[in-house]
Formats: sequence, structure tokens, C-alpha cells
Amino acid sequence: MNRNMKVLIVDDFSTMRRIIKNLLRDLGFTNTFEADDGNTALPMLKEGDFEFVVTDWNMPIMQGIDLLKEIRKDPKLKNLPVLMVTAEAKREQIIEAAQAGVNGYIVKPFTAGTLKEKLDKVFERLG
Amino acid sequence: MANELMPLLSLSQAKALVAHLEAQQISAANEIIESAGIAAASEDSMFGKVGELTRELHDTLLSFQNDTRLLDMAGQDIPDAKDRLNYVIEMTDAAANKTMDAVDTCLPIADKLIEDLEAVIPNWQGLMRRELALGEFKILCHQVDDMINESTSRALTLRSSLTDILMAQDFQDLTGQMIRRVILLVQEIESKLVGILTVCHAGSAGLKLNTNKSDVKRDIEAEGPIINAEERDDVVNGQDDVDDLLSSLGF
Repeated sequence: MNRNMKVLIVDDFSTMRRIIKNLLRDLGFTNTFEADDGNTALPMLKEGDFEFVVTDWNMPIMQGIDLLKEIRKDPKLKNLPVLMVTAEAKREQIIEAAQAGVNGYIVKPFTAGTLKEKLDKVFERLG
Repeated sequence: MANELMPLLSLSQAKALVAHLEAQQISAANEIIESAGIAAASEDSMFGKVGELTRELHDTLLSFQNDTRLLDMAGQDIPDAKDRLNYVIEMTDAAANKTMDAVDTCLPIADKLIEDLEAVIPNWQGLMRRELALGEFKILCHQVDDMINESTSRALTLRSSLTDILMAQDFQDLTGQMIRRVILLVQEIESKLVGILTVCHAGSAGLKLNTNKSDVKRDIEAEGPIINAEERDDVVNGQDDVDDLLSSLGF
């Protein structure tokens, strides 16, 4: 796993972006960028060479699930791994995210250990 | 007395009218008739207005009775909002305690570090000045050795406490989502109250009803943090449930 990969963190709460950014830094990912909703994230993804996205679900304007669907629709982005970190905990939501092609799903509140475990799993599966 | 029939024209007006007619003052006579007519007409329009308002009030009261949203708000949403706000208190309380616990763990480590350094410094300075006796040198070696041994575990404790402090800040996101939902409810109640005020106070017709309904239904609506996950069967209860569900889907 290339720990210098460009990572985009998408969450409308800056505190949560900071938490995830810090945890990722602890895990060796220092090349992180932030966006506050899907609508700001999508153009960044289209322009930049991001290799990984961590996104919330419930955000204004464009929600995380819609961002995920847009990513999968875009021929250039469709293989981009997406990890969802969200308070949304309904079964149907998790199933919807899985069907939309999410690579991992973490419910808030979560621990640093969970983030590491899911990250390892995502990249292990991608090979 | 209230039923007493009131003449449209008073006796003095009638007398004046006859006098004007006798004197061939036609326009003056017409004025008297017109002014009497206008008074009657304005009375009519006032009764009309009262009737209209009564009808509106009646209709609105009926529509409030039929408005199940109001019932939902009173019976479900407001208690739910109370639960959400209580959850906010719990979460901020837990975050504050988690942070203070971590600080309680870190402070003695810092104190011990200062203490150890102060103990080593005299011998260390002696060593730097080449003024250290062999016995003192041995003591210094042990002191430094102890410090090195303890420092690793202390640094690890510091690191994990700092991560705890970091993670404790997740309350801001979760409580923020809760509070946003309560704000939406308060806005809705506000618009209903404005609706009642608009009807009860004809002069406030200028008050604008907030028709900007927030209930645009999505296929699956985002709900934010779940406050009563144990009592619901449509939500997962923690990360293990998520992992089970995903693995059952072949993940």
C-alpha cells in the first residue's frame, strides 16, 4: 500500500474531518485533502489524482451516497476505493451503500482501531 | 332593545330632505339620501367581513383538526426532540469526561518526566564537566537506564491518551446532526404558529407562511445518529452488526 497516496476526506463537520485526518496521519497517510460535501468533492476528484475517498453520508447539497454513485458512474473514477464513515445505521442504508459499490462502511462513533482495520481490509482486497 | 328597528333616515334628516325638495334643492336632497345609503352599506360590509373571518377561522380550526402533522409533532416529534437533546447532553458529558480522563493520565507522566530529569541533571552536568566520580557515574548510568526503559511505555500511554482526546471530539459531529434536526422541528412549529396567528389576526396578513417544506422524501432518507438503536430492529447496533450485515451480502 502506497502511504503517500492522495486521500480525500469528505464530511460537513470540520471536527470530524480533522479527526479522520489525524487518524490517517497516525496510520502514515499524510497526503490528505478535505471537502465539506459531495458537491465540492466531485470536481476535486475529477481534477485531482486521488486514490482513496473517505466520506460521510448525511451532508448538505450532495450526500455521500450520491457522491458514491457519481464516482461509480464516472468512467475515470469508477474504480476509486470509497470508505464510508457515517452515523447512518439503518440496515437498508448499509445495503444501499453496498449495492452502490462502497468498499467499506464504518458507523460513528468509531475507534481508531476500526478505521485502521477497515483501511487494511479495503487495500488488501484491492491487492 | 337590540332588535329595535332603526330607521335608515333619521327624523331630522327626513325633515331636511322635505325642506330641500320643497325648495327645489335637488342636489342637496340627493346628498342626504346618498349619505344615509352609504352608512347602511358600510354596516353591511362590516357584517360581511365578520362573517368571512368567522368562516375562515372555522375552516382553519377544522384544518388544524385534520392536520395529522400537528398530532405527529405533539405526540412524536417533540418527545423525540427531547430525547435528541438529552442525547446531546450525554454525548457532550461523555466527551468532556473522556478528555479529562486522558488529561488525568497524561499529567502524572509529564510530572514524572520533569522529576526524573531534575534527578539526572546534577550528575549529568558533572559528567559533561568531567567532574564525576565513579560511584556517581554508576548512579547516573542506572538513572538514565531507568528513564530509557520507562520512557517507551510512557510515550505509548501519552500517544494513546492523545488519540482518546482526538476521538472524543467526534461528539461535535454527532451532536451537531442531532441539533440540526431539532432546529428543523422548531422551524416547522414556528411556521404552524405563524399560520394560526395569520388566521387569528387579520392585520398580520403580511406574515409569510414558510411553505418551504423540508419533507422532500428521498428513496432512503438520511437520519443521522440513532439514539435508541437497542429498541429498533431496522438499524444496526455498532460496527460488528455492520460487518455481519456486509459479510452476509458477500462482502
